[in-house]
Amino acid sequence: MRAGGDTTAERRITTKESQSWLRKVLDSDLSVGWLFSLPFLMLWVWWFFYPFLQSFIRSFQDANFAALDQAKFIGLQNYVKILQDHEFYRAVLHSLEIVVIAVPLQTIIGLIMAILVNQKIKGKGLFRTLFFIPYITSQIAITTVFMTLFKQGTFVTDFIGLFGFGNVTWFADTHYALVFIAILFIFQQCGFSMIVYLSGLQEVPKDLYEAGQIDGASRWAQFRYITVPYLKPITFFIVSVATILGFQIFDQIAAISRYGALGSPAGATNTVVTYFYQNGIRYLNIGYGSAAVVLFFFIILIITFLQKKLLDEKG
Amino acid sequence: MTSRKSLTLIGNYALLIVLGLLFALPFLYTLYTSVLHLEDVNKWAGISKWTFANYRLFFTNDAYNVPKWLVNTIVITALVILGNFIINPMVGFALAKLDFPGKNLIYWIVVASMMVPYHMILIPVYVNVAHLGWLNSVLGLTVPFLYQCLYIFMLRQFFMSIPNEFIEAARIDGLTKMGAFWRIVFPLAKSSLITMSILAFSGTWNSYLIPSTFTSDPAKYVLVVGLNSVKDQFFENTPLIMSGVVLTTLPILIFFFIFQKQYIEGISSSGVKG
Repeated sequence: MRAGGDTTAERRITTKESQSWLRKVLDSDLSVGWLFSLPFLMLWVWWFFYPFLQSFIRSFQDANFAALDQAKFIGLQNYVKILQDHEFYRAVLHSLEIVVIAVPLQTIIGLIMAILVNQKIKGKGLFRTLFFIPYITSQIAITTVFMTLFKQGTFVTDFIGLFGFGNVTWFADTHYALVFIAILFIFQQCGFSMIVYLSGLQEVPKDLYEAGQIDGASRWAQFRYITVPYLKPITFFIVSVATILGFQIFDQIAAISRYGALGSPAGATNTVVTYFYQNGIRYLNIGYGSAAVVLFFFIILIITFLQKKLLDEKG
Repeated sequence: MTSRKSLTLIGNYALLIVLGLLFALPFLYTLYTSVLHLEDVNKWAGISKWTFANYRLFFTNDAYNVPKWLVNTIVITALVILGNFIINPMVGFALAKLDFPGKNLIYWIVVASMMVPYHMILIPVYVNVAHLGWLNSVLGLTVPFLYQCLYIFMLRQFFMSIPNEFIEAARIDGLTKMGAFWRIVFPLAKSSLITMSILAFSGTWNSYLIPSTFTSDPAKYVLVVGLNSVKDQFFENTPLIMSGVVLTTLPILIFFFIFQKQYIEGISSSGVKG
């Protein structure tokens, strides 16, 4: 009996052990981790990685939408052709102009807003919401509104005209159209910068300011030597996100280019993105468009790298 | 209060009010113009009557198809949010709270993909969608966008700040890791999940580049693409256009107002520091 009892007990232990063994496998970090990542990875491979590789491969091909099977390998010819195209350099220049005008301005305005609404004042919730709304509003909608505001002879253009700007329809004027796009971007983006800066400001240790006050530092000195250095990683985040988004501006340009080709008026708002869209998608020249986009990718990479260097060396 | 302090306060308020007016003006102008008769545009006084005819026109005129665009937009936005709500937190949890071979690889996949501009893959994605016969269909506008690396990264940052002790305590009480995820992490991360939902909502609702590339049939348009096509046809009819703008923007504003408190908290605690 004793032996028999032992066997049953042993058996019980074995089943229990094997159950807990199964449970252990299913409940391990390895299986849960991969199980949880699997849906993402499957989508990513098919909708990101594969297209990403294709973009590289297509950029070395002479490929047309209409006859993709007949795509021919042509080496660097697409790149050579782009680098000889005057319009491409113009597009790069326009993208750079937008970024150089809009990114610093939206960063500074965002910081000012954040500091203003981080104080103990009445109605700060209202102002936070007001400044943030453009960020979640459709760019097409905002552009549409600004297009009716920045027409020749409206109260807005009349008013700005007093400061020496031309009283013209901004988005139809070759000199002003690009500035118009930059204004739209700033209007949209500084609310986001404000929110991010706001979260940063709330994390600056209060005793740093107290120490500053004891040392008799002015408000400006406190801002310059405490706030700004403390916010540096956040500034880098804001500047790099805004740069990437600034290079990707598309909706606003599409909205002002009615009837005409993208980049109206007369190519004055043509950017790297509209250049690639026009060639790759409208003119169906996939190989050429892909090469433009690969170059665009490297431009962003280099600029992000330079920003990192610049912001690291500052303070 | 010293006079210098009150001067600063007045300066701050002045600056806030100027900025606030600058930001409110386009929206107030939109609302104001959307209820005007065409002949009253650009008049600031002597308006005889308000009208909602512009709004009515959008819903009754077959040429605009607004009800259809609205349904398309709602379906697509709902599906994309649902996908993001299931897929992103799972990856975020795996990256924040589990330790397994291959985790670093997945982390770098997420971070690197976040940096790549979508234009880079737009053409091949378009070709994929076309091959599957998904152009002009809901599938083409939803399936490729069911996850977002930026949101996965954001959620990972937030989940990291949930103390491990919470999860360990749940395990001692007999919960599996998946159980701990649904029962502990999901409720604790409410504000960052709302943040993600607002961003996913406005991103999908407002997206123009992708729907305008993947659809050519006006019956399959989303609101933003539809609005832009109406705008091109009736650019001189400002009140009509402005009522379209209000119609497109209103759902976002409602969604934001409902969740705004959690939203601000969500951003502050998800720690975006480089």
